[in-house]
Amino acid sequence: MNSSNFRSDNPRRLVFYIGFLLMFLVLFGGFYNLQIFQGREYQEKSLRNSIKVETRTPLRGLIYDREDNLIADNRPSFSIYLIPAQTKEKTVTFLSEVLDIPVKTIKRKMRGYSRRFQPVKIARYVDRQTLSKIQENKADLPGLDWRVEPRRNYVMNRSFAHVLGTLGEVADNDLQKDSNYEPGDVVGKKGIEKVLDQYLRGSKGYRYVKVDAFGRTVETMSSEKNRAPEAGHDLHLTIDADLQAYADSLFQDKTGALVAVDVRNGEVLTLVSKPNYDLDAFAEAVQQDVWRSLMADSLKPLFDRAGQGTYPPGSTYKMVAAIAALNEDIVAPSWKVYCSGSYRIGRRIVRCWNLQGHGEVEILKALAQSCNVYFYQLGLKIGIDHWNHYSKMFLFGERTNVELSGEKSGLLPSKRYYDRVFGEGNWTAGMLANIAIGQGELLVTPLQMARFTMMLANSGEYYQLHLLRKLVNKMDGSQQNFDHEPQYITGIDTLVMQTIREGMRRVVAGGTGSRAGVWQMTGGGKTGTAQNPHGKPHAWYIGFAPFEEPEIAVALIVENGGGGGGVAAPMAGKYLRRYFHKLDRFDYAAEAEFLRKLWVRRQQQAQADSLQKRIEEQTNRIIETIPLRRSQ
Amino acid sequence: MKKRFESLDLTILIAVYGLLFIGLMALYSTSLSLVQSGTGSNFFMSQLRWIAIGSIVMLIAAFLPNRMYFDYAYLAYIFALALLLMVLKWGTTGYGATRWLNIAGFGFQPSEIAKIATLLAVGRFLSEERSSINRPRTFIIASAIILAPFLLVARQPDLGTGLVFIVIALPIFFWAGLRPNNLLLIIAPVLALFASFNIYLFVLYLAILLACLLYMRAGIVSGVLYFAFNIGVGFLTPRLWGQLKDYQQQRIITFWNPEADPLGAGYQIIQSKVAIGSGGLFGKGFLQGSQTQLRFLPEQHSDFIFAVIGEEFGFLGVVAGLVLFTVFLMRTVHLASIFRSRFNSAITIGIAVMIGFQMFVNIGMTIGFFPVTGLPLPFISYGGTALLTNMVLVGMILNFHRNKFEY
Repeated sequence: MNSSNFRSDNPRRLVFYIGFLLMFLVLFGGFYNLQIFQGREYQEKSLRNSIKVETRTPLRGLIYDREDNLIADNRPSFSIYLIPAQTKEKTVTFLSEVLDIPVKTIKRKMRGYSRRFQPVKIARYVDRQTLSKIQENKADLPGLDWRVEPRRNYVMNRSFAHVLGTLGEVADNDLQKDSNYEPGDVVGKKGIEKVLDQYLRGSKGYRYVKVDAFGRTVETMSSEKNRAPEAGHDLHLTIDADLQAYADSLFQDKTGALVAVDVRNGEVLTLVSKPNYDLDAFAEAVQQDVWRSLMADSLKPLFDRAGQGTYPPGSTYKMVAAIAALNEDIVAPSWKVYCSGSYRIGRRIVRCWNLQGHGEVEILKALAQSCNVYFYQLGLKIGIDHWNHYSKMFLFGERTNVELSGEKSGLLPSKRYYDRVFGEGNWTAGMLANIAIGQGELLVTPLQMARFTMMLANSGEYYQLHLLRKLVNKMDGSQQNFDHEPQYITGIDTLVMQTIREGMRRVVAGGTGSRAGVWQMTGGGKTGTAQNPHGKPHAWYIGFAPFEEPEIAVALIVENGGGGGGVAAPMAGKYLRRYFHKLDRFDYAAEAEFLRKLWVRRQQQAQADSLQKRIEEQTNRIIETIPLRRSQ
Repeated sequence: MKKRFESLDLTILIAVYGLLFIGLMALYSTSLSLVQSGTGSNFFMSQLRWIAIGSIVMLIAAFLPNRMYFDYAYLAYIFALALLLMVLKWGTTGYGATRWLNIAGFGFQPSEIAKIATLLAVGRFLSEERSSINRPRTFIIASAIILAPFLLVARQPDLGTGLVFIVIALPIFFWAGLRPNNLLLIIAPVLALFASFNIYLFVLYLAILLACLLYMRAGIVSGVLYFAFNIGVGFLTPRLWGQLKDYQQQRIITFWNPEADPLGAGYQIIQSKVAIGSGGLFGKGFLQGSQTQLRFLPEQHSDFIFAVIGEEFGFLGVVAGLVLFTVFLMRTVHLASIFRSRFNSAITIGIAVMIGFQMFVNIGMTIGFFPVTGLPLPFISYGGTALLTNMVLVGMILNFHRNKFEY
């Protein structure tokens, strides 16, 4: 081995000594700076680091009917969260499998949130089995978190589907519009849950918690900055749950809508649209197929027919033409028309529903028997402008602004409309005759028809239709009532109104709507059989009762149901019976007894009549056999 | 027997076992929350086992016949290179790099073994009779001995460990008698590399280089060539930058400005600084560090273990650790200077530089002086292969000390 070692080279050793000493000094200085010089600053940073503000979801307001029956409340459920910064590929794959959500969807949810340590909600309303599957594997699933959160629980479900509407995760554009929303919040998507979301949602609470770097809560801090969540306001609806369910059952498997209004204040007692859907199914975590099947359903169960369905009103609209004609002195109440069953307009022959003809018809009979020939001729006399003017007086073409989402305003044609669509001078008198009987381009919603009925029942007085009766603030117990001031239609002669109402009374009392009558109760109404391009005519009925001091107005439609008198009127009659039965003013047993007696009497009468007839016949025969003597 | 153990250098042993003890405390602290929540392995217990094994290995290394190191130096070197090649072919991949080799169910990092073998090989070559580091031939061969394992390790890719090889080169050459002039010529291109990122700095650098060359009275031809070479390095650097892996670039960029990406790459450094800074003078107390216990501090059992010490034992604990390291390094340099054998001496200085460099880079990283390189802290970070390697190195120092009078 080489004998000359390196040790004599002292300056070189010094270089290494100095080098390592410098290292020591540099590090010493670095730590001195961090720990002694800036120590206090970093101590504060480390405190803030481990304390996180956690949002606490408030309980959504409860929903009651007008008699304080519970319709919807909340129950606890589990939501799955991911913390993007810590989530690994395997966590996403596992969740995708267990929750049946595509990997892409999960990743899209995580993307775009700048706070990468803020948990992002991946799924809500996860059932216990799924949750326990996830919990078992939590050690292998970095970034995973779950929380207990309230979910909507429907005590009454299907019949209220269109009134309450669905809940869902807040949409991106709503997030931008309202700073109170955070990603993953559950908000009302339709119906009253959407329109009154600001009352129902309450306000979020905040809790300062100590967390580890995985975002998992280690302990809750007691801080005066903690704020408990404030539950949303409780809603008391104007709807009567019992009547609502009853109306729902009346439709069986028919399609259509029924709206009933308390004409003394505009409270909506019943609002049913059929078919409806299962609100619970909608709230489930896996709602893809539910959604798809509902969207694919040709009957469109998600479609609220009461507010969004626009239909030709048919003969239920005849009152508008009648009022216009009488109020403008275009015809006198005594003006008569001969109905032969058909009528010739230009080159077209239009028919009355009664092909035998109604014979001589004046206004009252025309309404009671719903004579089309009378109203064809009336329509030609009134003209589009008057007709449009009076339609507007009854607020057709305007939304009712009841607390429902997506309400339609229908279509009220005017001269301008016809000019635009068909060209000036290119539209015919036939169209006028048609809209006078509620056909043609005119479109209305069942809600509008209910309002119209209220106006007629009250001889021009009406109220804003509403579903919200009372808000209760659970936090301080305060209440807020929603009473609406009456409004009036002005410019219609009292006598005209009386005549029309009398006509409506006769509809029920022996006219086309007699099956909507309630025993020992007078009422007014009008049937409608609206021709439409989708098959059988829509069956309409609008009516109110009692006639003298009206309380309730009903508008109902059965889509492609057939005749208004045969299909819609009996349903309205049943509904009204139920309503008055609840008020102890109608007795099912007494009516049955009365009908039995009536039947018996009719039988007796018939027997008596036939006896009488036989006697008369025999008498006549005897008389005929007696030879007549001619006197000179 | 008693005499045998008295022959071991006590200063080195105290420093090493002091550092191992500090490391165990920190590992106990980081393992606590993991073990309690059942979500992680108990680093403390397995490190304790590694220390036991490491101590035995150290003693074996200390009592092996001194000549064996010299005799088997090249064999060990070739064996290590073979292992590194095997890693590239059959290694286990993790975190985007292939570093581990599994043989009979036993996983280890050949790059650690290569550290020892390379030291032995370069030590032996430099102590050969005909070697003189100031001759180009010796310089090139010695450089090649170091460059070969570096390239293989860098291919894994493990740039951090690779750098350890490069870094030991110049100090060993210098220790073996490299003239300051030559040293400057070697260092100059490295400086050119850093200066090239700023055009003004680069021009200033070239001016200084020119002055130095004139002062050293370099020959016209070689002077001009060398000057041109430096300019070339300056121009090539940006191109080389493009060759780096994205995560490597990211680490270097983040190093300059960690606050720019507080939740991404800079997160680790920020959390580490917060942990250390909040420790203050006396620390938050053993097992009381919120950064550590709440797991805000990343990689706290390996890369950032010194931040655990900083948080829980404060500035005093940090200084204790730094003093132990410095004592170990100073003592090792001292021993290197008294060993008669050039081979023993060269290797000992290599060991000092190797451990000193890893210590400086790792601890410097925790306070944000260096980018996150993934270099573990010797004697303190968790990890079996690294610990065994370091214990073998310590054992070698002890061995050379026992034979300090041998030539």
